[in-house]
Amino acid sequence: MEFDVQEYKGSRVIYLGGEIDMHSSPLLRDALLDTIRDKPAKLIVSFRNVSYIDSSGIATFVEGLKHMKTYSGRLQFSEIPKGIMDIFSFSKLDKVFEIFADLDEALSR
Amino acid sequence: MKEEKLITVPEEHLGSLEKRLADLRMLMDVSSIISSTLDFNELVSLVMEKAKEVMHAEACSILIMNRKTGKLEFEVALGTDDTQSEILTKHVTLNPGEGIAGWVAQSSEPVLVSDAARDCRFFGQADSLTGFTTRGMIAVPLIGRSGLIGVAEILNPIEKSCFSEYDLEIFQSLCRQVAVAMENAIFHKESIEREKLSQELELAATIQKSFLPELAVSVRGRISLSGITFPAKHVSGDLYDFVEPVPGKAGMIIGDISGKGVSAALFMAKAISEFRYLMIGIDDPGIVLGRLNRQLSNAPRGMFLTAVYAIADTQSGRVKVAVAGHPPFLWITKNGVQVMHPDAGPPIGIIDTEFPVTEHALEPGDRLLMLTDGVFDAKNSEGARLGFDEITEFVAGHRHAQQLPDMLAEFVNNFAGGADRADDLTVSELRYLA
Repeated sequence: MEFDVQEYKGSRVIYLGGEIDMHSSPLLRDALLDTIRDKPAKLIVSFRNVSYIDSSGIATFVEGLKHMKTYSGRLQFSEIPKGIMDIFSFSKLDKVFEIFADLDEALSR
Repeated sequence: MKEEKLITVPEEHLGSLEKRLADLRMLMDVSSIISSTLDFNELVSLVMEKAKEVMHAEACSILIMNRKTGKLEFEVALGTDDTQSEILTKHVTLNPGEGIAGWVAQSSEPVLVSDAARDCRFFGQADSLTGFTTRGMIAVPLIGRSGLIGVAEILNPIEKSCFSEYDLEIFQSLCRQVAVAMENAIFHKESIEREKLSQELELAATIQKSFLPELAVSVRGRISLSGITFPAKHVSGDLYDFVEPVPGKAGMIIGDISGKGVSAALFMAKAISEFRYLMIGIDDPGIVLGRLNRQLSNAPRGMFLTAVYAIADTQSGRVKVAVAGHPPFLWITKNGVQVMHPDAGPPIGIIDTEFPVTEHALEPGDRLLMLTDGVFDAKNSEGARLGFDEITEFVAGHRHAQQLPDMLAEFVNNFAGGADRADDLTVSELRYLA
């Protein structure tokens, strides 16, 4: 799994890559909770290079989202590959997370 | 008669020989201590007590490398008083390269220090905290088959100003034996812990199975329900259950807790218990999932449950279905297989929401096949995943088979081959008998 945080047009973006499963999600959890420790108003996650995510990875983002909601922060997903978007669609996770086609669309909302 | 010859040996040389003999005895004693116990703590204390005595040192200590933190931690400190020893074991850790012990750990080289105060590697903080004054010392790496275990030290020689090269040689001989013994004790301890954990998990698996239906098949009127589950580890985050919410109705739930292992299994036990209480007397699967959602809303670490709950009329075959973020289910008729994506809510335990209900009229012989993602996400030894389309194709080709859930589970297991199952796998079936 790759996890990289960069600034994009003034917002914090997490660039994720690789497989997010029961082995890598504890690392994702540490990195994600560390990133939201200083309560960013908006955090965008780019899934462009993610090849797989299982329920333990999704639960990690649910935990991050619940943390951010306590201070009205927004967790946004973007650039989700089709295979993963299929999982998000049947799981109805679009009712849970804000999902956008690309970073600029996420930034504009 | 053999003639006896008298040899004159200088007293100094005799003393030296006696000392070497005593040291040899000590090494043999240590060897005997080492073979007498596999208890790690006992072993370390006994050996170091002996070392302190024979090396004529004021104090000695062993630092163990914590592989998780990468730091050296005091395991035992003898010769200092109890308070000093507690300070060292509880409050002092060293990074590789830090202090003389850290230098020894990093370089894997032994070191003889005549005057600690003048040695730039010396870490004075331990002395400041304990009030002990280190003058001279020997520090030796403890190296086992799997690398560095830790560092052993003896401090402040008694009745002489500094340790000698000979002392270093003896302490090294002792530490070589200690390292092997410590590694054996660590392996022994880990093997006991693994065995204990394995027994605990087996017991947990037995308890967890008691949460699932006692019989794999349940028939109510013209509705037959069946299920099969295989955990990825000993215990599973998947669940299924057959219930009678109201007279004349048969209910079937299948669910999947996020994550795996013990935490998922405990949450599964909570979820299935709550479900059994909440479904009583309610003929609407959406209302039940809504109540379950509120009940599980404070799940730790973002944990959630995906589920399908179906309630079938045991005579007419009409089925009401509510879905919470669960993968599609398959509707098998005599003509083919349809992948069902009914209107659904998100997984349970994340947000306050409602769960829509869809109604389906089954024909006699029709079946609804529900599964968890461990079925289509199964991975083989080459790393390839099975996929939902392949599952649908298999089911279509075997749609007339009576034991379809078992056949499907076998198909997935065969695909995975020898690869470790990454996810729990559950298949359940609701059949409207012809």
